[in-house]
Amino acid sequence: MTHHRDIGAAPPDEYVEAEIQRLLVEDPAVAEQGITVIRRERALVLYGEVESPHRREEILRLVSERFPDVPITSDIGVIRTQAPTEIEQLP
Amino acid sequence: MVIRIAAVGDVHLDEDVVGRFRPALEELPECADVLLLAGDLTRHGTEAEARCVAEEFGGLAVPVVTVLGNHDHQCDQVPQVVKVLEDAGITVLEGNGVVLDCAGGRLGIAGVKGFGGGFAGRCASDFGEPEMKAFVRTTTDSADRLGAALRSLDCDMLVALTHYSPVPDTLAGEPLEIYPFLGSYQLGQAIDSAPTALAVHGHAHAGTERGTTPGGVRVRNVAHPVIKQAYSVFHVGDQLDTDQVSPIGQSGSQRSWS
Ligand SMILES: [Fe+2]
Ligand SMILES: [Fe+2]
Repeated sequence: MTHHRDIGAAPPDEYVEAEIQRLLVEDPAVAEQGITVIRRERALVLYGEVESPHRREEILRLVSERFPDVPITSDIGVIRTQAPTEIEQLP
Repeated sequence: MVIRIAAVGDVHLDEDVVGRFRPALEELPECADVLLLAGDLTRHGTEAEARCVAEEFGGLAVPVVTVLGNHDHQCDQVPQVVKVLEDAGITVLEGNGVVLDCAGGRLGIAGVKGFGGGFAGRCASDFGEPEMKAFVRTTTDSADRLGAALRSLDCDMLVALTHYSPVPDTLAGEPLEIYPFLGSYQLGQAIDSAPTALAVHGHAHAGTERGTTPGGVRVRNVAHPVIKQAYSVFHVGDQLDTDQVSPIGQSGSQRSWS
């Protein structure tokens, strides 16, 4: 049997992080495994790299829908796709 | 003899990404003999996403050779995905190989997706529940097929292409706890069973670029979030032009994998 202390309090941070991480992987609109979620004080911080600006917006939308009362800080980047300027020699 | 190999993995294409890689890909004929794709071409492995891959990576002036990744299996449409890619002229490897005639010689590429399991001393064993045995046997079968394919190719230079990593070196930056989901030592053993010149993989989005198998084969993680450019180019051969030796940037620092 699960013993609930502090009914009404926010769930422990680790479960929130695990839930968001699984949400981002398993939601078909996102399917991102490359996002790190950190819960700090009263805000969620999202880090990571995605392949398009659209995906960054989808992630923000999904997380803010699930946790409407939590302020979210996003530091998600879009990965560059320029041609390389250097080659690597492997003799 | 130098063969010029371009490679990238984990491009995770869908409609929203189409066109982003193309300008850099158009430059390929000037700098590479072949483009290797190290799996996770799509987000969910749908036929529609495969068409995006065909549009972005098809019709290039260099041959394109790929393996699939775990994401390309998500929707159980592997046969359809493979057909769309092959119709676009992309060679899809899984337990087999291909030999390409390049200016610098015959390049043999053997590929498998690979699977997890972990690395020597910290790996899963073929023991216990059927689920565990199935997991480990998937890895072993995959590695066996890679080794056989590598040893079967008649060529001047041999390259191994996988999605999962054959070594822990190129996972540095990932949480240690998930290494068993990122690769397996059996893939490295297969690579070392043949005179392989280079092993290329993806999957570890937060890993690092460079590693070596216990047998001394160079390993490169070319996951797009790691290399942070459209593709990397390796000049593999017996000549070293010191003017062209240059360091490639450090990998990213985000902790993630896929
Ligand atoms: Fe992957
Ligand atoms: Fe990936």
